[in-house]
Amino acid sequence: MNREPTKEQLAAMAYADGELDDAARAEFEQLMATRPDLAREVAQLQRLELLSRQVAGPEPKDTEWERLSHDHVQRAGGNVGLGLLALGSLGLIVWCVLATLAGGLSPLGKASLLGLLAGSLLLLFSAVRARLRTRPFDPYTEVKR
Amino acid sequence: MIVVTTNEIPGRSIREVVGVVRGNAVRGAHLGRDVSAFFKNLVGGEIEEYTKLLAESREQSLDRMVAEAQARGADAVVNVRFATSQIAAGAAEFLAYGTAVKLA
Repeated sequence: MNREPTKEQLAAMAYADGELDDAARAEFEQLMATRPDLAREVAQLQRLELLSRQVAGPEPKDTEWERLSHDHVQRAGGNVGLGLLALGSLGLIVWCVLATLAGGLSPLGKASLLGLLAGSLLLLFSAVRARLRTRPFDPYTEVKR
Repeated sequence: MIVVTTNEIPGRSIREVVGVVRGNAVRGAHLGRDVSAFFKNLVGGEIEEYTKLLAESREQSLDRMVAEAQARGADAVVNVRFATSQIAAGAAEFLAYGTAVKLA
């Protein structure tokens, strides 16, 4: 099995390490724009570089954090708690909107409320969509402390 | 790229000062992390969600500063400093800045 890195992989390493000159860097960025796999490889290399920069002896509490993160009661408490909180908040918003619409609100008031709600939902959708798109190329999500 | 907080680099001499380079980053925690952090804040101890958030901003601002230094042809950045400020609740801004130099 050939384990030698390809020419593109070598270029990705040089790019991640900041070893390319201006022209080569611009050329590689153009290539990366059309090749998501190459961009992902660069993001992975940058994560590695970041992690190596943070190499330090573990603190005594790190093992406890690790143990807690695998503890079923802790995980269930966190997940169920957050889930209930999210559902409750959503239910409350829906109830408030319905109650307001059913009340004696003028047509302009109703339209404004619906516009506010629709606008907020659209902005939330855009923010989530942008985050999902950029997250694979964000090496800083791996930073610990 | 040599990045130091001192004015000089032992054993090396500065040939040319390129200028001030800087990088900043503002990052936010998602709602789930903010909620967890709120409850941890009630009982005390380390809020690791925010430790991680600040560390992410620190590394990103540092990388942006180094990228600017590289783009300007510097060999090192001396006298590096960090600054923080509060833009919004639950968001962390880090500014890294220093003097880019060329070494002899």
